[in-house]
Amino acid sequence: MADFRLPANSRIRKGNTHRAPAGALALRTFRIYRFDPTSGENPRVDTFELDITGCGPMVLDALIQIKGSIDSSLTFRRSCREGICGSCAMNIDGLNRLACTTAMEDLGRGDIHIYPLPHMPVVKDLVPDLTNFYAQYASVKPWLVTHTPPPPDRERLQSKAEQEKIDRPAACILCACCSTACPSYWWNSDRFLGPAALLAAYRWIIDSRDEATGERLDALEDPFRLYRCHTIMNCTDVCPKDLNPAKAIAEIKRMLVERTS
Amino acid sequence: MSLRSPLGKVLGQGSAKDGVHHWWVQRLSSVALVPLTVWFVVSLLSLPAIDHATITAWIGQLWSAVFLILLVITGAWHSQLGVRVVVEDYVHGHGSKALTLALVTFFHVVVAAAGVLAILKVALGGAR
Repeated sequence: MADFRLPANSRIRKGNTHRAPAGALALRTFRIYRFDPTSGENPRVDTFELDITGCGPMVLDALIQIKGSIDSSLTFRRSCREGICGSCAMNIDGLNRLACTTAMEDLGRGDIHIYPLPHMPVVKDLVPDLTNFYAQYASVKPWLVTHTPPPPDRERLQSKAEQEKIDRPAACILCACCSTACPSYWWNSDRFLGPAALLAAYRWIIDSRDEATGERLDALEDPFRLYRCHTIMNCTDVCPKDLNPAKAIAEIKRMLVERTS
Repeated sequence: MSLRSPLGKVLGQGSAKDGVHHWWVQRLSSVALVPLTVWFVVSLLSLPAIDHATITAWIGQLWSAVFLILLVITGAWHSQLGVRVVVEDYVHGHGSKALTLALVTFFHVVVAAAGVLAILKVALGGAR
């Protein structure tokens, strides 16, 4: 059956509090999920008071500041700090988003709660294990499959309209915000591919140069891989790139019905 | 613990090549239930009285009986499709899932059969 309580070793206990030094000018309080696999202890939520004077405006800037000046053991992924690498996806104040494109100012005045992406195994602190997520992406064969040999003198051509169809779906940065926001993915991520992988599948299904459309649809025609999607649409709600995985999945379902009659 | 590769786990037993029919019939039956339910509610409200004699007389009319049977069969079918999805979502053991799905199917068949028989009995004058 579905689990309604966290397993005993995942239950969150009270953590440490790091007070700001006296005389702080602009204080923000962060409540951050901490888990250290080597300690043998349960996860905890630490409280950090940070003087954001001189700190950048984004949540990622604050995390870097905390790591640099308060607790160097705080662990999170980050790279581009401009919303294109997808590394710093995490659950901030209850929504999956990129720490680097989420401004602290937009989160109101209260405490800022930061957790790893929901319902994933945690490697450490804010770093989730995305092995299964990446394997699901690989399983949809995210590359061009053709039978016709390429023209000897130039690349495979597409019309402008054909290219525009894949423009948006191809902008996915694989941050996993969508899949880990999906309740169907929480309950069945072992068999449901999730919105990110399905959006990627759709991107290749509608690519005019691809010649494996049928095989791609065959591979998705499954009660779990595709049809665990119950159009909850959290995926589209949280996508930091404003993409629409829910619509892509609906389009795949439409194509599957269309080819039967 | 398994040493199977992550991709191997995801590919698993492959695609079941199934699910389109279930999805389509669920949509189709939900569309069919809209006029059937509206008809059912409007018909009941427009009866002169809600007593045994009036209701049995109403069921005895040809089209009332036809639409009532369609409502019962479509409703049971649609419900079976929906409950099946809920079970697949939340029941994860292979044995318990197969058993629950079988019980869900039997339950809906019994409900549909009983409903249809009840309507026929009243409509054909077998019940008083």
